[in-house]
Amino acid sequence: MDKKTVSTIAYLSRLSLNEKNEDKITKDLENIIKFVDQLNEADTKNIEPLASPLEKTAKTRIDNVTAKNRKEVFLERSPKSNEDYFLVPRVVE
Amino acid sequence: MSVQYKTIKELKNMLNEKEISYTELIQETFLNIKNNSELNAFITLNEEESLKKANNLDNSPGSGSLNGIPIAQKDLFCTKDLKTTCGSNMLSNFVPPYSATVIENLENAGCISVGKTNMDEFAMGSSNETSFYGNVQNPWGENLVPGGSSGGSAAAIAAGIVPAASGTDTGGSIRQPASLCGISGLKPTYGRISRWGMIAFASSLDQAGPMARTAEDCALLLNEMCSHDEKDTTSIDEAVPDFTENLNSSIKGLKIGLVKEFDLSKLDNNVVKVFEESKKHYESLGAEFIEISLPNISLSVPTYYVVAPAECSSNLSRFDGVKFGKRCDNPKDLEELYIKTRSEGFGDEVKRRILIGSYVLSAGFYDAYYKKAQQVRRLIKNDFDSAFKNVDIIMSPTTRGAAFEVGSKGDDPIQMYLEDLFTIPANLAGLPAMSIPNGMVDSKPIGLQLIGNFLDESRLLQAAHNFQISTDWHLKTPTGNKS
Repeated sequence: MDKKTVSTIAYLSRLSLNEKNEDKITKDLENIIKFVDQLNEADTKNIEPLASPLEKTAKTRIDNVTAKNRKEVFLERSPKSNEDYFLVPRVVE
Repeated sequence: MSVQYKTIKELKNMLNEKEISYTELIQETFLNIKNNSELNAFITLNEEESLKKANNLDNSPGSGSLNGIPIAQKDLFCTKDLKTTCGSNMLSNFVPPYSATVIENLENAGCISVGKTNMDEFAMGSSNETSFYGNVQNPWGENLVPGGSSGGSAAAIAAGIVPAASGTDTGGSIRQPASLCGISGLKPTYGRISRWGMIAFASSLDQAGPMARTAEDCALLLNEMCSHDEKDTTSIDEAVPDFTENLNSSIKGLKIGLVKEFDLSKLDNNVVKVFEESKKHYESLGAEFIEISLPNISLSVPTYYVVAPAECSSNLSRFDGVKFGKRCDNPKDLEELYIKTRSEGFGDEVKRRILIGSYVLSAGFYDAYYKKAQQVRRLIKNDFDSAFKNVDIIMSPTTRGAAFEVGSKGDDPIQMYLEDLFTIPANLAGLPAMSIPNGMVDSKPIGLQLIGNFLDESRLLQAAHNFQISTDWHLKTPTGNKS
């Protein structure tokens, strides 16, 4: 773990780290990764990964419309919107 | 008439006998909230709406099993038209347009949601120190943390302000604060309670549950919180038993497992003494102890700190400043909007976990960390499956010690992560687990953890209730023994 890796994953996470924090975060991440490296002690050959304690989930339901269109309710919670859209800075010049 | 420190059961009787009106109960509750404002247990209060509901109940009492019972809701549950911050600056202005299923269930049963409780930001923390809204004080001592992340809920109950609160538990966030504040708290089986409307941290680990003064009250709450919910595809479609039914049945012959790999010799002597006394007490109630082995249990915390951050980094990508929540000022383009909003909106611990998550999920590291952790997770679950062939429940201390002082864990995040050493395994395996007060260390309460088999909450509650009707640890309050 070095500063370059940290700045790459910070960009992937869409976070900016100020210089003051960068050293501390790099050190913290290094320690945490070292800590989770203990996982290598386990023999996991041929072990199927477990993604959820319930293995039979994601049941499908009948494809009926169950919710009303509540466009206004959701748009009014946006930091910036007009009556039809969420607004963001211009993307295409 | 004082309602401070009363249980749900006691308040139900008082309301039924008309010793107190619904309105008086809610008025008294808000008085207690205000008299304890220095605890900082609440982020948002819901006074006007609560009084309106109480008044309606005085005019026409409904048939709900928890009619008029004041409850504090962790600020992680969406509550319709009531601000929901998740302890974060990111959601400081967020007013949900709907309520979580579990909130609806509790309110349909008659509960009155008096306010939203303080918590570690996005439930990431074990001391409430990561909340954007400031620390919560543990009622047992001015400079003590209440634990976390459901610290506000635990503190509000410990101070006797409310008899009930909701919490969520991803790695111990119900049980650890319950232990540190001297109350009872239950994390049900993963999938028992709908997660719809719960702000997600780590979706395969998160589970809501009840917090209260007693196991019996937890059972009353759990009866109403559980339901199969089509809106949550991980919601279990199994009949919900009446969790109060077996509370008083004897536990004679109950087989309790003790985990060989939990090395208690590393703990404070007084903590071990409290645990040994509880063992003796259970023996006197007719339980028998069997040593069990969970060979991979020591890898629980490292497994958790891969799985939880991975899921967190994915879940928290929705906070982008576009559709709801906070947005930074004057972004020059869309990318800056995302980056500035997230950098200003999240605190340090949340950022740290997002970064770990992005790292372990990134190309080249995915197999070494994320896949590996999921494989170890299966080994841990298999260990529990084998153990439960020989025992009914598993017992351990809930925490390594009693409440610690604010700031005392220093700035090494791993020290704080180890706080959840005993609680994390149940989340990884999806098992129900609870914490009940079982002693005092340096005049501070401490908890006993009971872990149950899949969907076996009834047995946990029965074991906990049997303990509580024959001991008085759950009756202790910061101001002395409860009369």
